[in-house]
Amino acid sequence: MWEKKPVILLILATAAILVGTCITMVLPFVWVNTEADRITSVTPYTPLQQDGRDVYIREGCNNCHSQTVRPLVAEVLRYGDYSKSGEFVYDRPFLWGSRRTGPDLARIGGKYPDAWHYKHMADPQSMVPRSNMPDYDFLTEAEIDPEYSRKKMETLGFPFTEAQISSLEGKTEMDAMVAYLQKLGSDIPWRQSAKTEVVGELANPSPKDKAAIRAGQLLYADNCAMCHAEDLTGDIGPALDEPYLDDADLFRLIHDGIEDGGMPSFAALGSARLWQLVNFINYRKQP
Amino acid sequence: MDWASILYLGTSFGLFVIFALILLRTWRPGNRDKMEKAKFRMLDED
Amino acid sequence: MENPTYDTTIVRSFVNWSILWGLVAILVGVLISFQMVNPDLNIAPWFTYGRLRPLHTNAGIYGWGIGSFMALYLYMVQRLCRTGLWSPTLAKVQLYLFNATIITAAVTLVLGFQTSKEYHEMEWPVDLMIVVLWVIFSVNIIMTIIKRREEQMYVSLWYMLASLVGVAILFLVNSAAVPVSLFKSYSAFAGTNDANVQWWFGHNAVAMVLTAPPLAIFYYFLPKSTGVPIYSHRLSIVAFWSLIFMYLWTGAHHLLWTPVPDWVQTLAMGFSVMLIAPSWGSVFNGYLSMNGQWHQMKENYLVKFLILGITFYGLQTLQGPLQAIRSFSAFIHYTDWVPGHVHMGTLGWVSLVIFAAIYYLYPRLCGTELHSIPLANLHFWLVLVGQLIYSVSMWIAGVLQASMWHAINPDGSLSFTFMETVVRLYPYWWIRALGGVLYLVGVLIFIYNIYKTAAKAQPQSVPATENA
Ligand code: HEC
Ligand code: HEC
Ligand code: HEM
Ligand code: HEM
Repeated sequence: MWEKKPVILLILATAAILVGTCITMVLPFVWVNTEADRITSVTPYTPLQQDGRDVYIREGCNNCHSQTVRPLVAEVLRYGDYSKSGEFVYDRPFLWGSRRTGPDLARIGGKYPDAWHYKHMADPQSMVPRSNMPDYDFLTEAEIDPEYSRKKMETLGFPFTEAQISSLEGKTEMDAMVAYLQKLGSDIPWRQSAKTEVVGELANPSPKDKAAIRAGQLLYADNCAMCHAEDLTGDIGPALDEPYLDDADLFRLIHDGIEDGGMPSFAALGSARLWQLVNFINYRKQP
Repeated sequence: MDWASILYLGTSFGLFVIFALILLRTWRPGNRDKMEKAKFRMLDED
Repeated sequence: MENPTYDTTIVRSFVNWSILWGLVAILVGVLISFQMVNPDLNIAPWFTYGRLRPLHTNAGIYGWGIGSFMALYLYMVQRLCRTGLWSPTLAKVQLYLFNATIITAAVTLVLGFQTSKEYHEMEWPVDLMIVVLWVIFSVNIIMTIIKRREEQMYVSLWYMLASLVGVAILFLVNSAAVPVSLFKSYSAFAGTNDANVQWWFGHNAVAMVLTAPPLAIFYYFLPKSTGVPIYSHRLSIVAFWSLIFMYLWTGAHHLLWTPVPDWVQTLAMGFSVMLIAPSWGSVFNGYLSMNGQWHQMKENYLVKFLILGITFYGLQTLQGPLQAIRSFSAFIHYTDWVPGHVHMGTLGWVSLVIFAAIYYLYPRLCGTELHSIPLANLHFWLVLVGQLIYSVSMWIAGVLQASMWHAINPDGSLSFTFMETVVRLYPYWWIRALGGVLYLVGVLIFIYNIYKTAAKAQPQSVPATENA
């Protein structure tokens, strides 16, 4: 009776464990990260970006932020194009995460200008008052060791130039973090392809309406004040206190954003709320 | 049928056979005392 | 038959240390639950949420969980085999190495030496310590079983053996990495492959650490506490084989809707649902063992812990398969629902069973009675209520969060910005923190009770080895 033979029991148990292991864990290596799911525009990290990635790992940002967008309607609307296997071939380890206490970061690259990240990382609550993200201002004090970075690039087998290594001199971990965040998800041109066009005649449904202006003020505080300042006098973005765009152009600008200027697109807010913002910016001073 | 379906059905069937054999062996009439003895022995010890 | 000599001091030391690490895990858990409502509690750089959460999970699973399992395996293996340990010296080495490993892990995690892989955050030098530790432990248990003086092998021994090889295989594969320095390494796998390996590991850490060992303990301590044997040994054996076979297929249910190949996800989903059968095999076995003994739920505080524990296991293994279904996962994955699931398992199932086992054996190891049964009952109610507050508040929060994330206006835009959803969760995070504090108070009472029991034992009546 093998029930009484511990060694045989051990061998049988190991065999039972190995069946599922081989099929669901070993076998996928045949398909994943092969030519089939390569994306040519996806490049390895530069030394600075890789350093930022290592800081991300060290600080455990993955405990609050995921890095995969699932192919679900709301998710694609909120974060951008869904993630493809080929986008992660240089990720060792993967950083998909399992919790979204904060938003997904798979497509954060290019969403904000660098200046926004510097301010936000150092003191998230100064940008988003009720955020529970910790302050990371100590990253500005830690300098990067270029020789260590070289070693890391060699270990990973990523291409790098001497110029890249020597340019690390004097860079801080904060610089590295921002460089990494700006790279995330921007290897494929998803922004251009996902762009929605505003079609048809654009007419303000309730011009100068008091309630709309008030609603717009609240929306402004939550979504715009971090860059254009509470009193519209400008900070990371320009001052908005002297409106010069007509309603339709302003609507279009907020809807589309300014791709290379660091002004995010706010299409996801929906047209009702965008018009409230327009009313607030263009008519808040009117009696 | 392509080879993948045959492999899939064959493996599943094989697994069911193994499972059935384990069940048959475990509940074979007359096997009861042997198979259940451990639970009494562990209580004896104290 | 001559009486064997059992090694009990080592069991007692392991219990003491595991309780200490359990307290650390819970204190850190309470701290991070307050950090989630008040970010000012983050003390940069060492005590930020991102570094403390891995400390919390590892102290919980490895310090409290594995620490207790080591204690209880060393105890059960001797009793079930009616023989002393194969090597008492090795067990002592194991205790020192265990504590050294946990301390090194805790310190390095707080210093930021971490890999980001969940439940495998420790960097490679700590991994090496863990491997040595596990080999020492496994050899001692396996050799004790081989030279046993009891012909029968009770089901607890089966679960113990499976968990020893299971953890070894999982841990070794997921450790594969290329070091760059003493404190930094890069995973040997990349991207989607790395994700699939990690969650093959992650989910089966649940199987081999948070399921098999507590089942071994449950199957041993339930009959010992009630005085009647389990309902069916044969049922437990069939459930055993099905469980260890099926668990390994399910890792990708943590990766539904991600770039992991679809067929892997589908297999994971199917096997997760099938897992209900062997899981509930054990649950039924537990309940049916209580036939004619239900009155003990009132009279015997140990039975209360054990039966509530297996009940939470039963709920956990219904909820888990539900979460593994694609459509449901689309909804609750990434939300607070999941910590609700996790803590019903860890605080409900795993910890309740460990509490019962420690209450059962600590007085016996000390040759005395438990200091206070009313306090044990108070402990029971506090941890039960604390855990329910935690899980229920997180399930509600998770459903709320998910419905806000997915809400879409008629014009096709999103109804809520991300921050609007965060702000709505603060009240639930407060309630969770409160549940955590209640649980903590319960555990402090437990520690006080155990401490008083140890103090009551006459020093001369605590021989190095006790004859049973
Ligand atoms: C306690 C959880 C927590 C931790 C830890 C955390 N974050 Fe955040 N993070 C948040 C929350 C909540 C938000 C949303 C509010 C805000 O913008 O501050 C956020 C927002 C962000 C954003 C802006 C995303 C967007 O689309 O607007 C970035 C970038 C970011 N975090 C990066 C990081 C990095 C890098 C780290 C690690 C150094 C980190 N976070 C650690 C919770 C966290
Ligand atoms: C991440 C920072 C950021 C946020 C948040 C932001 N903006 Fe901007 N915004 C900018 C920057 C930078 C520019 C300048 C872009 C350029 O001209 O290239 C800009 C430009 C503009 C302009 C054009 C101003 C001009 O003088 O040309 C308007 C109008 C505007 N933003 C409105 C808004 C509104 C309304 C919101 C909130 C819904 C908002 N912005 C949120 C950064 C931001
Ligand atoms: C049949 C049994 C079970 C199944 C099928 C199952 C299924 C799942 C699924 C699908 C998830 C992922 C949730 C998500 O992120 O969307 C999960 C998470 C988890 N489960 Fe279970 N579960 C089971 C039993 C258990 C038990 C008994 C425990 C014991 C404590 C447990 C502990 C956990 C933990 C710790 C996680 C969190 C992993 C993480 O994201 O970090 N599970 N489970
Ligand atoms: C009163 C006690 C406890 C409190 C207050 C607590 C609190 C927390 C908090 C706040 C989190 C983070 C949840 C999030 O990501 O949103 C967490 C995660 C976790 N805790 Fe606890 N915890 C406690 C006890 C324990 C114990 C004893 C264990 C293990 C035996 C444990 C295991 C875990 C695990 C595995 C996770 C990761 C969950 C996931 O990935 O979803 N906890 N805990």
